[in-house]
Amino acid sequence: MSQTVDMNVNLAGLALRSPVLTASGTFASGREFADFVDLERVGAVVTKGVSLEPWEGNPGPRIAETSSGMLNSIGLQNPGVEAFCANDLAWLSSVDVPVIVNVSGHTLPEYVGVVERLEDEPGVAAYEINISCPNVDAGGMAFGTACAPAEEVTRACRTVTSRPLIVKLSPNVTHITEIARAVEAAGADAISLINTLLGMSIDVRTFRPRLARVVGGLSGPAIKPVALRMVWETSRAVTVPVIGMGGISDAEDAVEFMLAGATAVAVGTANFIDPTSVIRITDGLAEFCRANDVERVRDLTGALRT
Amino acid sequence: MSDSSCAGHDAPPALERVEVVANDRITTGVGLIVLHAPRTAAAVRPGQFVHVRIGYGTPFILRRPFSVHRVRGERLEILYQVVGRGTRALAAATAGTQMDLIGPLGHGWDIPADVSHALLVAGGLGAAPLGMLAEELAARGVAVTVASGAPSEDRLLARDLFEAVARRVEVATDDGSCGTPGFVTGVCASLLADEALDIVYTCGPEPMQRIVASQAAAAGVPCQVSLERLMACGIGACLSCVVRTTEGLKKACVDGPVFDAAAVEWEPAERVPEH
Repeated sequence: MSQTVDMNVNLAGLALRSPVLTASGTFASGREFADFVDLERVGAVVTKGVSLEPWEGNPGPRIAETSSGMLNSIGLQNPGVEAFCANDLAWLSSVDVPVIVNVSGHTLPEYVGVVERLEDEPGVAAYEINISCPNVDAGGMAFGTACAPAEEVTRACRTVTSRPLIVKLSPNVTHITEIARAVEAAGADAISLINTLLGMSIDVRTFRPRLARVVGGLSGPAIKPVALRMVWETSRAVTVPVIGMGGISDAEDAVEFMLAGATAVAVGTANFIDPTSVIRITDGLAEFCRANDVERVRDLTGALRT
Repeated sequence: MSDSSCAGHDAPPALERVEVVANDRITTGVGLIVLHAPRTAAAVRPGQFVHVRIGYGTPFILRRPFSVHRVRGERLEILYQVVGRGTRALAAATAGTQMDLIGPLGHGWDIPADVSHALLVAGGLGAAPLGMLAEELAARGVAVTVASGAPSEDRLLARDLFEAVARRVEVATDDGSCGTPGFVTGVCASLLADEALDIVYTCGPEPMQRIVASQAAAAGVPCQVSLERLMACGIGACLSCVVRTTEGLKKACVDGPVFDAAAVEWEPAERVPEH
């Protein structure tokens, strides 16, 4: 008989049954994946970014495949927080899984407005403040690439909620640890990283960019080493827990992120390739622990030997 | 048949391991791959697609969407054009190769119950999703007329299939090597004038579909189009494949790929990907 691995983790006060979450924007609100995965086995569903008003997103083409990765420039298309509550959140309330809502905005009051509206909803476990989307003209990454605005938006959201506040950071900065310390000081309960890396791709037959918006965010296995390095740096720079993500495609990738210091991990682009990824990685992580006599998955966090 | 629509029968999509049975180049740049895929073959409806993982550990990571050309027992037949890394890898797959796919996906062709004569307009590889439709229409006793276009005679696709089930097949070739010289839209215009048609179904390059849609609208005949978009997930999550419609942005993967032509707000010509 193989021992049972304790897969529970505590993420900023949230008791999660598994450290494997979904990355915002790659899992919609979970419903689209219900044919492929048992959502009640997911650590938490992190929703697509939600804004105060409906956003149309960017013109197409919105994606381009690159070596071992993909660029996207979706532009946070979403129906706005009211429709999100009426449809996505209402549906998710029938599922026994913690829901972390990714919050987006063009301006500081928009971020605050989304959080305030969601405070009325009992089905929200935590917020992930998106200050790192590279695909919108105003807001998004503009808040996440300097300490002062990052701190400001974190503090503003902090004042309107006592729920766990996660801040999602951009890798498109010189020193990610400085931003991480700034949002921690402003009241973030956890930090998630990384969002996509700015990139571009050109179709040489037409001399045109492959994305209508020219530049977009790179994700997938191509970015994993960068993400892992930033998780390692950040987890040593702050005391709040870190959610690691960036190119996680299998259980060993998840183990790497936990060893580097992540308390939990999120699966993103892999959901597009294999819609069962989040459960495949959850099962693989438990199997890894069993095979390596790790009784509690949380014991992997920061266990890197250097 | 009490149900008037294909979509009413849609089975939930699933991940299926499949095996390549055969894979042959059939004309310049176009291949026909046969996959043993019993679950999907039993469930797929005309106009739906499968999202195929062509390789594992390859430098390209995403699946590729392909409409199902036709079904034979437990086998799916897919017509594909070699255009990039994914389809080059697909062309190299030999019998016995294991792959997996997600399917059946998308909203296929709607067949209204009162249709008695349908026109199918295929431009080049646009013949791919029309094969299964032609067979389904014929099986329901609907008269089928086909207009099929290609650069030259040797590049006309699905000729045998169309000739086996259609009452009338008209061909157009750019070089005049077969049928009417010129684009298939010319043939479409004369058929709309000649024949008493209840519905038009079309697939091909987007500028061609747009012309067919306007010809059908002018003739007062309903028209359905099958649109191609780059897509990542295929199941409605990534929002890559949006199509602008009179009812707002729709997803080609779940709301399409087949749309009522009257609802489509066509992209400006410069945005149409080159074929």
